[in-house]
Amino acid sequence: MMSDAQATTMAPTASAVLTHIVKSIVDTPDAVKVEAIVDEGKIILEVRVADGDLGRVIGRRGRTAQSIRAVVRAAATRDNAEVDVDFLDD
Amino acid sequence: MEWVEVTAESIEDAKALALDRLGVDDAEAEFEVLEEPKAGLFGRTRGEARVRARIKPSSVRVKADRRDRRGKPATERQAKPRNDRGDRRSRGDRPQRQSRPEREPREPGEDRAPREDLPPVDPTTVSAAATTFLEGLVKSAGLTGSVSAKIDGEHIDIDVLGDDLGFLVGTKGATLLAVQDLTRVVSQRRLGDHDTRLRVDVAGYREKRREALTRFALKVAGDVKTSGQARALEPMNSSDRKIVHDALTEVEGISTRSEGSDPFRRVVVALASVSEDSDSEIVADSE
Repeated sequence: MMSDAQATTMAPTASAVLTHIVKSIVDTPDAVKVEAIVDEGKIILEVRVADGDLGRVIGRRGRTAQSIRAVVRAAATRDNAEVDVDFLDD
Repeated sequence: MEWVEVTAESIEDAKALALDRLGVDDAEAEFEVLEEPKAGLFGRTRGEARVRARIKPSSVRVKADRRDRRGKPATERQAKPRNDRGDRRSRGDRPQRQSRPEREPREPGEDRAPREDLPPVDPTTVSAAATTFLEGLVKSAGLTGSVSAKIDGEHIDIDVLGDDLGFLVGTKGATLLAVQDLTRVVSQRRLGDHDTRLRVDVAGYREKRREALTRFALKVAGDVKTSGQARALEPMNSSDRKIVHDALTEVEGISTRSEGSDPFRRVVVALASVSEDSDSEIVADSE
């Protein structure tokens, strides 16, 4: 079983890119936390945002979330990793 | 923001054509039907559908406190009731700008103020926010690059240049579209801007794509003229379809239209005279 810290270091570029994007979108950037977990061999980046910011991050019809995923997955290719992104609020 | 006006055989076709002209998906456009085709015998239609469309000003998501920061007076209309979801801690410690002139309680939805009432946002401000975001994006990926913005009236064009940026373009520019979408979110939408048209290019991709697609479209048009046979191109996204339509508007004897729905929507290149009447008649007759 891999620890979360190991998972983050497995996808450092994707994690950094995700953090930057989400902090740029939300009202409360300080509340943004990105954690990596491994689920069935896949890296999942979990983003937590302040209550009330989740809507902005997901966007109308999930469009912003979709764009975030696209860019973060692209960034993960630089880590030679495959990642998924989950959005959570506090 | 400009309107485009198109005519087609049906309202649906006219809308589709208008979307291609604008280069956006239907979620991003708004329409006005100017004229409906009249119903003729046996379900045929006579007359044409006339529709006008424009890019929908982005949804009103005004951050009143940001506006204050930029020194623009926040009118009462912009004040969005923010405390309607209960007071959780993250909200409590926001800077207290709440001391703005009292606002009346409003019905949900009523705070969607008509955009005319909002002061326009300076394109320079939008451009600066977009540039900061993109610089940060490149840096967060551990790369170096340069971001430059060109402002021409309501048009903002941002170029991101640097080595190893291909991953931000992706297959057929799919990732680039996502990058552009996010850039719009953090600049236009955050600032409550509805007037600028913002485009992002990475590593000169769009320009190369435009050149290649234009060459390809002209070649297809030549083939269609020679053979007289209409050609359906492979499915493309709306901005690519727009490039094809634009490339061929000036070509005499050729007309273009789009068929199908996204993500399989494609441009059909046909002889102008043929597409005007007969092929739609054939479709109608075969039923």
